[in-house]
Amino acid sequence: MTTIREEMWKFRGILFNFAMTDLRIRYKNSVLGVAWSVLEPLLMLAVLFFVFSTMFKNEIEHFPIYLLSGIITYNFFKNSTSIALESLSNRSALITQIYFPRSIPAISSVMTASIMLIVELAVLGCFMVYFQFTPSITILYLIPIYILAFVFVLGIALGLSVLNVKYRDVQFIWGIILHAGFFLTPIFYEFGMLPEYVQNILQLSPIVQIVEMVHHVGIYGTLPSIISVLYSVGSIFTILVIGYLIFRKYQARIVEEL
Amino acid sequence: MSENSINVVNVSKKFRLYHEKRTSIFEALSGNINQKSYYETLQVLKNISFNVKKGETFGIVGRNGSGKSTLLRILSKIYHPDTGTIETTGSVVPLLALGLGFHPDLTAITNIYQSSILLGISKKEIVEKTDDIIKFAELEKFADTKLKNFSSGMAMRLAFACAVQVDPAVLLLDEVVAVGDMNFQKKCKLVMKDFKKRGKSIVLVSHNPVNIIELCDRAMFLKEGSIEIIGKPTEVIDSYKNYMQLPKE
Repeated sequence: MTTIREEMWKFRGILFNFAMTDLRIRYKNSVLGVAWSVLEPLLMLAVLFFVFSTMFKNEIEHFPIYLLSGIITYNFFKNSTSIALESLSNRSALITQIYFPRSIPAISSVMTASIMLIVELAVLGCFMVYFQFTPSITILYLIPIYILAFVFVLGIALGLSVLNVKYRDVQFIWGIILHAGFFLTPIFYEFGMLPEYVQNILQLSPIVQIVEMVHHVGIYGTLPSIISVLYSVGSIFTILVIGYLIFRKYQARIVEEL
Repeated sequence: MSENSINVVNVSKKFRLYHEKRTSIFEALSGNINQKSYYETLQVLKNISFNVKKGETFGIVGRNGSGKSTLLRILSKIYHPDTGTIETTGSVVPLLALGLGFHPDLTAITNIYQSSILLGISKKEIVEKTDDIIKFAELEKFADTKLKNFSSGMAMRLAFACAVQVDPAVLLLDEVVAVGDMNFQKKCKLVMKDFKKRGKSIVLVSHNPVNIIELCDRAMFLKEGSIEIIGKPTEVIDSYKNYMQLPKE
């Protein structure tokens, strides 16, 4: 374990460099630049808000904030995994020329997405002020929840980064999963609106658990049930271990596949 | 042992040569069903053992496909050897191609940062050296220009200027010297000689016999993945020329 830590410390320059370059290149040649990382979820919010407050009316209280917090949390999941997916395959030129730990691209992708998350959370804060919404003290629990989310996406990112080199169809499959996940996660509806048997299935998804926890502590000022917390922690760490094992299986020879 | 900066013992490496590469899951599954082998293995390196002393410049010659670049990649930990061990003392930096980490959408300065960080130079050092690099590359007017607007000669000068900033204990060079015009090659040689003067080790892969004889203390001839001869550069080059049926000097 110490050797991994030492190696990470030695290569921290590359780690931060990748994260920053990902951000910079993401908005290259765009007039609005980094503002897109804020505009994207806001436009998404505008569309969903329009659809679900005019065409399909619902009675969710604080709907704009409910909607935005869900979008932001899901975006973190989507951004980090989709950047990580291509992080190794896009760097083929670099990886065949110099050595660095193969986990660095995946980790830096999650860091890039984390920076975007922080910016988006600031926007959520502005929203709360604008709608004169006073969150209860439980909102501080967002910190451990997002740390948990970080662990969750890190596990997926590690696995996806090597799998996408091995099998290029992983990117298409993952695209569909992300798309389906958006609708199967309580972002623009409340979980309780779903029929019970659907709830029973969907609550197995860690991202559903995370978004629900964000709603609990951020909007309702309540705590999620102990069972769902335990389940989330257990399943997320299992995913981290699986992701790491997949990564470890392929990492040594991944260069030859590029 | 302590006077060697590289120790290579019995290193072998095989590659899979795919006839039709299976990159989709469906293909992988169907391949498992009919169990036909779809690749052959290619033994690129066979039982390679050698060492490089501190302060020594070690040349490697061989035909295309004889495993020279693979060996350099193994030395720089990019590839894992199938068998054998490699020990290195001090930092090892490979320069397998120029312009490491360059991105066309970034400016010259940012690309210098990029490249240097990847080569293991600390941020503090880079900031100090940026002006020197720009000056060395003769690109003072273009420091804030995006790389994609550079001519290929300008990009090459920038890449070279970045590369020579590295200060590792061992430098691995792959044909870098073979590119560029006469003037550029002369600059490369000067840098290498200076490097040597400071007591650093260099492993140099080159197709040019003149470079090997001029720059190296010892050399190795790789023939189809095995060592044909290790020794004085002149002897090695003779044997290499014999094999390639080139006229001796």
